[in-house]
Amino acid sequence: MESFFVRYRNLLVLLVLLVAQILGLAIQVHRTPEGQISLDPRDSRGVRLIRLWANAMVSPPERAAESSKSGVGWIWANYFDLRHVRQQNQNLQAEVNQLRLEQAELLEDAREGQRLESLEGFQQKYLYKTITAQVIGGSGTDLSRVLYLDKGKDAGLARDMAVITPDGIVGKVREVYPHSAQVLLINDQTSGAGVILEQTRIRGILRGNAEGQPAVVNILADQRIKPGEKVLTAGGDEIFPRGLPVGTIAKIVPDPDRDGFVQAIVNPAARLNGLDEVLIITDIEPHFNEKQLKDMARSQSEMGSEAAALAEQQKAAEILSERLPGLTPPSAPAQNGAQAGAQNGSQNGTGPANGAAPTPAPAPRLLTPAHPDRFTPGYEGSDNGSAGTAAPAAKPSTHPAPKKPANPTETQPQGVH
Amino acid sequence: MAVMMANSRRDIEIHRYPAILYLLAPFLALVLQALLPRWMGRFAYFDLPLIVTIYFALGRRSPIQGMFLGALVGIFQDALTHHAIGINGIAKTIAGYLAASVGIRIDVQNTVIRVLLNFALTLLSSGIYLVIYRGLLGIDMEWNWLNMILLAVGNSVLALVFFPLLDRFQVQD
Repeated sequence: MESFFVRYRNLLVLLVLLVAQILGLAIQVHRTPEGQISLDPRDSRGVRLIRLWANAMVSPPERAAESSKSGVGWIWANYFDLRHVRQQNQNLQAEVNQLRLEQAELLEDAREGQRLESLEGFQQKYLYKTITAQVIGGSGTDLSRVLYLDKGKDAGLARDMAVITPDGIVGKVREVYPHSAQVLLINDQTSGAGVILEQTRIRGILRGNAEGQPAVVNILADQRIKPGEKVLTAGGDEIFPRGLPVGTIAKIVPDPDRDGFVQAIVNPAARLNGLDEVLIITDIEPHFNEKQLKDMARSQSEMGSEAAALAEQQKAAEILSERLPGLTPPSAPAQNGAQAGAQNGSQNGTGPANGAAPTPAPAPRLLTPAHPDRFTPGYEGSDNGSAGTAAPAAKPSTHPAPKKPANPTETQPQGVH
Repeated sequence: MAVMMANSRRDIEIHRYPAILYLLAPFLALVLQALLPRWMGRFAYFDLPLIVTIYFALGRRSPIQGMFLGALVGIFQDALTHHAIGINGIAKTIAGYLAASVGIRIDVQNTVIRVLLNFALTLLSSGIYLVIYRGLLGIDMEWNWLNMILLAVGNSVLALVFFPLLDRFQVQD
């Protein structure tokens, strides 16, 4: 027995390692309500701990490399490449290198300043509360398109916050660590964002493909969709606010999995492969600066005066409608209500003919329903012997009096008088 | 063919390295793997942690050490992605085991063998990754075969540079 373990030691260790990792994989996947298997978007505590350790180990050197701006290039340029040269011409070369470094550093600082300035300008104009963060690393494989930021929970970042640049959207915060955060880019195969095509208003889901290009999927073939059309966020995913630029359509390709559907390959507006600084939307409640607040107040006051004018118009229309005749049955005499009112008024001494008082507003006449039921005003049911007839009290008002002149006072319900 | 077989004492000796190198080399490989693709964009066709795993597995000629190194490096790599932890771990465990098993039988100092081994094991590692993702986990994932070939070529070329560099740190008896 002992010889078996000694003889197959390597294979047994291989087996144990593989089984352990397969079991580990099994607890990380779950079945969706649709019956599909997918990775659990929320890591379990153990998995999260492993990620935290890995991140804690990799982040400091990444941060250091990023802060030195030229990172590995600096080491290469100043050690491996120039080692022999420095020995031969130490003083002169050191001075030249120093100047070059300073120049490069200044240039890089200037570029960074310009970028930050534009970010700052965008941030001030932007309605939502944002935080600027620097990109310090990635996953190292094109199968997982994620970035690491130099800000984390301590800066107020949380899961599912939108990450953008002034050019367009970048991705969403997938995992947050104490001092760093992982961002899932929009060109990853597992990402998803609700988008809308600007011109055609067709909605779809933005998702990455194997080549790392974002594509709008789940859209029916439509001849109106053309390359060059802008793609914007639709705002329905509760991550990205609506209307943010996503990119432009590069080409339309048929969906390989579904007939009749196409995929619109998108050129992302944000430079996803060369990001240095990004903005994270930490609060989607709009925050307005002073200028925006003033503009809004002015627009509000203008809207107020417009509303007052509209209310005036409304009031005038109401007065006018009160003075005009209401609904009249088609069988009523073709006598103008206003004229009738004027005539009646002049007859009974209340009309404008005598100039004493204004003509009372004519009450609208209700048409007689063809089949009255219990919802008909004045209806008392079929127990009165004639189903479908209205109550006697309501009769004068509901039944037109074709023979009589359309006198408003006569058409009022009896109870009114 | 006999030239490639490990038949001399030099060929079958177990290479030893300073203890710190066992930690530093994989760690640097992981950090550079996380950093460089960001600067190189889509041209980052290499897998430095796999190169280091293959190197130590070949040099140490111990399948168990190769497996553990592969598993640790792979799990660490998985932890930096948003995928499930263990996919790279399994792929690199098998790569480490095979590299060490092959290292017992053939001359691992031969440059051609090193290049071919790196090419083959990188392809195998990518294939295992795909099989686990699609077959074992049943998750749909698009795959680009050209990228896989380019990755294997990139690893082979880098092995030509890194293997002699790491050879310099060998402890001579």
